[in-house]
Amino acid sequence: MKKALLLVLTIALAVLSACGNETATKDEPNNQAKEAEESKEVNLYTARHYDVDDQLYKKFEENTGIKVNVIKGEADELLERIKREGDASQADVFLTADAGRLFRAKDEGLLQSVTSDLLDEQVPENFQDDDQMWYGLTKRARVIVYNKETVKPEELSTYEALTDDKWKGRVLIRSSENIYNQSLLASFIETNGEEKAKDWAAGLVDNFARDPEGGDRDQAKAIAAGIGDVAIMNTYYLGQMLNSEDPEEVKVAESLGIFFPNQETTGTHVNVSGAGVVKSAKNKDNAIQLLEFLSSPEAQGQFAEANYEYPVNDSVEPTELLKSWGEFKEQDIPLSVLGDNNAKAILIFNEVGWK
Amino acid sequence: MLRVKRNKGFLVEELGCWTVQRKLSNVNAWTVSAVIIMALLFLPNLTIVSGIFSPSNDNWAHMKEFVLGSFIKTSLILIGATGFLTIAIGLSLAWLIAQYQFPLRNFLKWALVLPLSIPPFIGAYTYHGIFNYTGVIQTTLRDGFGKDLNPAYFDIMNIPGAVFIYTLFLYPYVYSITRIFLSQQSASLIESARMLGKGPVNIFFQVVIPISRVAIIGGSSLVVLEVLNDYGVVKYYGIQTFTTGIFQSWFGLGDIETSIKLAASLMGFVIFILMAEKLLRGRRQYNYSTTKVRPLPLIRLKGWKAFMATGYGLLILSLGFLIPVVQLIDWTILTFGTIPTEEFLIYVKNSVTVAGISATVIIIFALIVGNFSRLVHGKAAKLLPKLTILGYSIPGAVIAVAVVTAFIGLDGFLAPLYRLLGVDHTLVLSVSLAMLISAYIIRFFAIGYNSIESGYDKIGTDFRDASRLLGVGLTKTFFRIDVPMLKGAIVSGFILVFIDVLKEIPLTLILRPFNFDTLSTKAFQYASDEKIMEASQASLVIVGISALAIVVFYKFLEKEPE
Repeated sequence: MKKALLLVLTIALAVLSACGNETATKDEPNNQAKEAEESKEVNLYTARHYDVDDQLYKKFEENTGIKVNVIKGEADELLERIKREGDASQADVFLTADAGRLFRAKDEGLLQSVTSDLLDEQVPENFQDDDQMWYGLTKRARVIVYNKETVKPEELSTYEALTDDKWKGRVLIRSSENIYNQSLLASFIETNGEEKAKDWAAGLVDNFARDPEGGDRDQAKAIAAGIGDVAIMNTYYLGQMLNSEDPEEVKVAESLGIFFPNQETTGTHVNVSGAGVVKSAKNKDNAIQLLEFLSSPEAQGQFAEANYEYPVNDSVEPTELLKSWGEFKEQDIPLSVLGDNNAKAILIFNEVGWK
Repeated sequence: MLRVKRNKGFLVEELGCWTVQRKLSNVNAWTVSAVIIMALLFLPNLTIVSGIFSPSNDNWAHMKEFVLGSFIKTSLILIGATGFLTIAIGLSLAWLIAQYQFPLRNFLKWALVLPLSIPPFIGAYTYHGIFNYTGVIQTTLRDGFGKDLNPAYFDIMNIPGAVFIYTLFLYPYVYSITRIFLSQQSASLIESARMLGKGPVNIFFQVVIPISRVAIIGGSSLVVLEVLNDYGVVKYYGIQTFTTGIFQSWFGLGDIETSIKLAASLMGFVIFILMAEKLLRGRRQYNYSTTKVRPLPLIRLKGWKAFMATGYGLLILSLGFLIPVVQLIDWTILTFGTIPTEEFLIYVKNSVTVAGISATVIIIFALIVGNFSRLVHGKAAKLLPKLTILGYSIPGAVIAVAVVTAFIGLDGFLAPLYRLLGVDHTLVLSVSLAMLISAYIIRFFAIGYNSIESGYDKIGTDFRDASRLLGVGLTKTFFRIDVPMLKGAIVSGFILVFIDVLKEIPLTLILRPFNFDTLSTKAFQYASDEKIMEASQASLVIVGISALAIVVFYKFLEKEPE
């Protein structure tokens, strides 16, 4: 009966190795293709997961014959995975939201510098990394949203002004655990200095309408519910709500006004989602082609529109909805400082008790 | 008949020596495989244990000064409150079902396990969707009745809200383990108490609670571990716990050492809980001493008592299952067609495949380790299997990194072999499903093992000893005596693991191969983009498959003589 036990173990092993084999055989045609000619695929690790992305990848395959293999995940975890895989990594392109994360990828030596005239033409300089390690693909603004009934837009001016006593118990914003807030504070560390940035965070905490909870959409709903009067949130969430399947969400979004702060001073905080070529990329040329495609006029509209974001490519017009919100002055800082100051921002949040 | 054995070690040890001498080789086969399995399960945890001894840095000091205290406090409140409520609800329901007959009892008996099919993070999103400003409750009050109640009353994104969510979707752990125990094991004791004229209240506190302590603790420690490990609910609700701290220091501060230190502290805490369980359990063991386990004769409830019992069961079932499912169906109808059907079917296939494979392997491993723990005497053999449960206490993302590291190392080791086979890249295993499935096994071994172990506990060693005395080999005994008696435990363990894998999030996100989506990754992606309604279709199918598994399980159990 020892055999029976052996049998059980063998089955267990067989099952395990079968899963290995399954993918191995799936990979095989690719391998052969690779040997036969120039590789016809590109491997993408992406933290962006809109359905329209898949359509764009298909279009890219139709245009170039290059198949896009995708692993979708959370940015930080994907980054960690690329790091662990090291030189052997099969990742060619890393795509994520927030310049802070792109910086982190660069800082940890996971990206490589690529040059392409087409990319330079399609992506404005301030949305590229200084060393061409990553390129912005879409642009979002973190703005002040207000209750049209209780707040006049004239009362609003800057992010800093929200720490005035006037706004006590009226300000809504999500948890500091979120990267958007970390990048926002990181940008203030750059424009105003660390001390002032800390005072701002402490002042805002004093004015909170409630302990931070939920995502950006929840802040908008809290305004409609009368819990607070102003919220700091990303523009595209408002776009999503205006186009929601749920009429109640549309109603909430319509009751809110959008205000671009710091127009007279440092400009409204903007951030990007973007991508870079991974250092150990095996299909570097294909990776560059993918970046070129995603920033091209052909793809930009769809890519940005999917999430109600602004295209980075100047030749592409934003959608009617975004145009209706008006043009605005953007914060004029290199986006890489967002990553540089990220850890400082987190420590400040902890110290001032911003949950 | 039930016999309380306080000193069962005596006979077994004698027999044990005798068998060890006679069939040393056989014991070795079991021991060797069990030790190998345990080592594999435990290895990734070593990375974390070693973290305790690394020198602390500034970030650690900062954490300790500003946030660690509140992380610990919040985590303790969450597990304390959830633990208490799940026991209160789980045990009371288990007792009602085991002891009384009332309308819908036979339906509620299995239906009350259904909330387990809803992953807490989906439950959290759904309930927030129901209660928030644009949700059905406030909208109806506002538009239907013109009542504008203070929205703060409906706010569930806080600690009590999280406790509410955890309790609703985790109580079945306590309920199902305790119910099976009560209906199968307590008959004679409770009957004696009844005959001695004890009232139901006395029986409950003086007999039911003491004898079902093991089951209660077993179930509630699973609940506590789930809560400690959860990231989805607390992240969405903006509650900062220990797990938040691990993620913050790792990803935010880029300081993996501090996060490992936090994970190690968490692990220490979990070891403490497990030890406490062992201590509480003490040396008491309740075993069958006959193969005929009689079910408890049911007392028929009448009038308002029957009404209350049915109402209570239905209330919990509605909150934990019916209401969220109706909401999910509503959203699915609103957003139907977002995901093309062919793609959707692939997600379903992927989910079911990985869950099935993982559950099978875990049960086989658990049977081997459980048998080892039973056969070999000494503290180590009892303690080691417990330690493999640590995987359950560590946040998924941390396990993921440990597993990735291990598999990349393994690929490096096997690289010459790959070259020999003509594979041109060096990462083979670590881009295959094998990596993901191994991680599931480490993560969920505890669930399967708990079930199998309690099964072994229940059957005791008497039948095996008898079989051995009759000269039947150890392995043959295992297949002919133990496995048939363990059938219930095997099926329940399989189903629990299956459902857990189906619901799993961080590991699947991080460790999956290229172009591999499952239902839960799809649901999570939409949800993390704050597209709760779009997430509902995938969520609904997860819930559907899990619920189906539970129903199948109960049909199976019903055929078995209880």
